[in-house]
Amino acid sequence: MPHEISPVSDRANSVVIVGAGIVGMSAAYFLSQAGWRVTVLDQGAPASGATGAADGAVSVASKKAGPLMTLAVAGAQFYQDLCDAGVLDGEFVRRLTYVVATEPNELPVLDRHATQLREAGVTLRALSKAERDQALGSLAPTTRAAIEVQGDGHAIGYKVVERFRRIGGFAVKRNVAVQGLWRQAGKVAGVETEQGIERADAVLVAAGRGSAAFLDVADVIRPRKGQLIITERGEGIVPRFPGPLMSCRYLISKGSQPGGDAPAGRSFGLVIDPLQTGQFLIGGTREDSADGSQTDIEAVRRLLQEAVELVPALARLRVLRVFAGIRAATRDGLPIVGRLSAHENVWIATGFEGDGICLGPLMGRVSQQLISGAHVNVDISALNPARFRAEAAA
Amino acid sequence: MRSMDVLVIGGGPAGVAAAAEMARSGLKVTLCEQGGALGGAIHRQPGNPARAVPVPRAQSARWHKLSALLAKTDAEVLTFHAFIGLDATGAVLVEDRRQGRLLVLRVRALVLAVGGLERVVPRPGWHLPGVVTVGGLQVMMKVTGRGPAGSVLLAGSGPLLLAVAAQMTALGAPPLAILERSRQVLSPLRAAPLLLWPRYLAEAAGYMRRLMQAGVPWRLGSSVQTIRPTDDGRLETVIVDGAGAVSRIVVDKVALHDGLRSNSDGLPPAAHATDRNPHVVLAGDCREALGGVAAIADGRNAAQQVIARLTGAPPMSSASRRIVDTERRAQQALANIFDFGIPDLLKLPDETILCRCEGRTVGALRQMLATDDQPSPREIKLNGRIGMGSCQGRFCVEWAGAMLAQQTCSAQPAGAEFIGNRWPSRPVAIRSLLGPAVADAISSIPPNESD
Amino acid sequence: MTDRSESFFWNGQRISFEPADTIAAALERAGVTDFGAGQGPCNARYFCGIGACQACVVSVGGTPAEACLTPAQAGQQVRTLKPVRQ
Ligand SMILES: Cc1cc2nc3c(=O)[nH]c(=O)nc-3n(C[C@H](O)[C@H](O)[C@H](O)COP(=O)(O)OP(=O)(O)OC[C@H]3O[C@@H](n4cnc5c(N)ncnc54)[C@H](O)[C@@H]3O)c2cc1C
Ligand SMILES: Cc1cc2nc3c(=O)[nH]c(=O)nc-3n(C[C@H](O)[C@H](O)[C@H](O)COP(=O)(O)OP(=O)(O)OC[C@H]3O[C@@H](n4cnc5c(N)ncnc54)[C@H](O)[C@@H]3O)c2cc1C
Ligand code: FES
Repeated sequence: MPHEISPVSDRANSVVIVGAGIVGMSAAYFLSQAGWRVTVLDQGAPASGATGAADGAVSVASKKAGPLMTLAVAGAQFYQDLCDAGVLDGEFVRRLTYVVATEPNELPVLDRHATQLREAGVTLRALSKAERDQALGSLAPTTRAAIEVQGDGHAIGYKVVERFRRIGGFAVKRNVAVQGLWRQAGKVAGVETEQGIERADAVLVAAGRGSAAFLDVADVIRPRKGQLIITERGEGIVPRFPGPLMSCRYLISKGSQPGGDAPAGRSFGLVIDPLQTGQFLIGGTREDSADGSQTDIEAVRRLLQEAVELVPALARLRVLRVFAGIRAATRDGLPIVGRLSAHENVWIATGFEGDGICLGPLMGRVSQQLISGAHVNVDISALNPARFRAEAAA
Repeated sequence: MRSMDVLVIGGGPAGVAAAAEMARSGLKVTLCEQGGALGGAIHRQPGNPARAVPVPRAQSARWHKLSALLAKTDAEVLTFHAFIGLDATGAVLVEDRRQGRLLVLRVRALVLAVGGLERVVPRPGWHLPGVVTVGGLQVMMKVTGRGPAGSVLLAGSGPLLLAVAAQMTALGAPPLAILERSRQVLSPLRAAPLLLWPRYLAEAAGYMRRLMQAGVPWRLGSSVQTIRPTDDGRLETVIVDGAGAVSRIVVDKVALHDGLRSNSDGLPPAAHATDRNPHVVLAGDCREALGGVAAIADGRNAAQQVIARLTGAPPMSSASRRIVDTERRAQQALANIFDFGIPDLLKLPDETILCRCEGRTVGALRQMLATDDQPSPREIKLNGRIGMGSCQGRFCVEWAGAMLAQQTCSAQPAGAEFIGNRWPSRPVAIRSLLGPAVADAISSIPPNESD
Repeated sequence: MTDRSESFFWNGQRISFEPADTIAAALERAGVTDFGAGQGPCNARYFCGIGACQACVVSVGGTPAEACLTPAQAGQQVRTLKPVRQ
């Protein structure tokens, strides 16, 4: 009998969560609120995966029309609800997002995207030149068009995780890598780790990229690297704007709008995010790479060049940090949320690619509802893990 | 700019020794220094020679010899060029601060000799204008050739306090006092091992003679606990002496120094070349803070490693390595009489600034640590915003790590656990990054490399 | 003979400097130790002298730069980093 990590008395109605990212930690909070005994295991520390290497756009404005856009609307609203309930107050702010076109061929992209957002119930307005100058005084004169999207917000992934950890009422174990599910009498009864067995009645896999090992179809989750730049504070140097600026190319790079260029191994989509500290975050790349420790000057120069073309005053600042994170992308661009069909007590919530900060708390709530057998109040049918199995069988 | 084999970063004794040695062996060497002149922390001098800051004769003789050696080679020296980092593709990034442009260089070897850092233990008021490091005070004298104006108190621990006080005195601006935290400096038992290094004793004796003549007190066992601004723009210091008695002095400047440390923050680790990266070698105080004599020897060591790797020549004499070993023992003997230990930071008042860049306090970190669930260094950085500011943690993560260790009675995490070693190793102007990148300084790599 | 031949501007005020002076050195000589509102909540000031601590960052011609590393140049506009707080 392998050594067990937690005492036997801790097993009633227990759930073990693999991964202390924003999804796992949100789920841990809601499950423990619902009376479950929760243990979160992470091979590193809370927010050591994508959650700690992301921008924090809680953004509907950037989403692809369809399930993602609809879920993002619900995700942003859920942040607001959690703030109002005093759970995430101070960790989420509402703000506007601006999508801008600088090239003639971006104009139809912007039009199409605006229409799709409106159809999803999002409020937005096209800005005239005068309105652009007023709201975004620092934009380059070459800007051709811009829309102002309401209902977006900002939350910092690692701070959300830290808040859930602090108010949590559940255990977080660092430096515990989960090696696989642990079965007893033909049934999953916990997980196996390097340190021993962690028993539980239910398992939630929220391990980001590491979730691939728990799926029985190969090559569903793919690493998509992103490089981000942080500047020093810009107060008194770069005029503030009220929310992030996204180029139409960002929508294309993200796959939210079809683009002219063939999808390259690496694409660039400009976002300039005015952080609450007064710093600017400038992103980002999408690259087929799993090496999150490396950044390169070519990407940095390209992003900065585009940023300065849009907001010339940025050239006066200095770069403080450059870092990379790895998004867990899926083959079809949609997250994977639901029960694994091979087991009656194992659930998964992963594959959020570049949208997990926006969707994390909502998906944590959904995971709790699924595991508790409660009603799930958003439509997650498109996220069913079984879709890849069906595809593989076909 | 011309093609090059080796790029040396830092024009202190280690970098200059490395550059000279490699250039003499026939390698094409370029040396980048962020400042306007070579010399580094010890050997820098004012542009105007008439204002030279007096230094021990042996010290200036060492530098003359070294710089003459470099001058005889064809090594290229670029001043106002700051190293920014080594990127994922193996490109060495250097900011030309004069022209505001970026050099993207592919070289066969990179020698990093960027020097060490001073340690300054946090205390209330250490972030105020008028509080400087002792080395910073010395740099200022060596730039301007003048002593600081007004009344100055030097406090902390280490031989640098004596050296700088003596230089101030020679420039007609003696400090009010030197407060040396250690009580053991003159303990014969502890000091005895130093007899093996008469050079240090002679240097110290020279400084002390000058200080005694000028009547500058060297108060052992005393330290500055708190610094407060006064209404008229001066600084009130609260001093505790060896017997625990408290006194106050109002001064114009307080210079603090609690020892020197190595400085590999933000630098790529030493490593053999890969299909992308050059050989990377660290040399001098940035690798291990062992002082000026060791820095020269360590620079030579680095040079020999590079020469061996690039030309296949057998490693040469081990003389430089022996010097480094000897100097390490000397530094250990010095550390034994001075006090470079970390005091109990948990006792600092809550409002004490810990991270000066982001204004994070001891109290805020204490609160973060006050849980059963101990956060990792990275969580402390992200959630506590410690090490997230422009100094990139160079003046706070050691103390955050110490507080973590003191709170949990565990081993102190290395600074790198907080901040890693990402580039840019220093904030870099976007304008420079966007300027025309000079990327043509690439030397062709011959197919037959050793190892 | 005087070597105080040239000057730059600190918040509009003329500061003379000597050859090879950094901005920090010239400000020190002029008795300016408090560089005003800095990057973070602490005021900017000279500290380490070697470009490491970033405490001395001021606006040089509209761009932040370390006063301790930046050579003084005639006519340069050097300012407190942030607009002066009331
Ligand atoms: C550069 C970049 C920018 C982004 N910008 C945004 C944005 O603006 N807005 C937005 O909504 N989203 C953004 N995202 C996406 C967002 O960060 C992710 O979708 C989200 O963080 C995913 O959270 P997660 O909890 O699923 O995964 P993660 O945060 O990756 O957490 C998974 C955790 O599981 C752990 N783990 C993995 N395997 C194991 C194992 N076997 N055993 C134990 N532990 C394990 C990992 O250590 C990790 O901590 C961005 C991502 C990147 C990389
Ligand atoms: C502030 C200070 C004062 C000191 N004063 C004394 C003293 O009076 N007497 C004594 O015996 N010892 C002194 N020491 C210790 C002594 O400096 C060292 O032992 C010795 O100088 C180390 O030589 P080095 O070449 O390794 O580094 P340094 O002499 O420090 O030289 C490093 C050089 O690298 C340059 N540099 C740093 N970063 C970059 C970058 N990113 N790009 C390009 N160039 C860069 C620096 O400008 C510097 O010129 C002092 C140390 C410090 C930090
Ligand atoms: S004084 Fe430290 S960077 Fe200038």
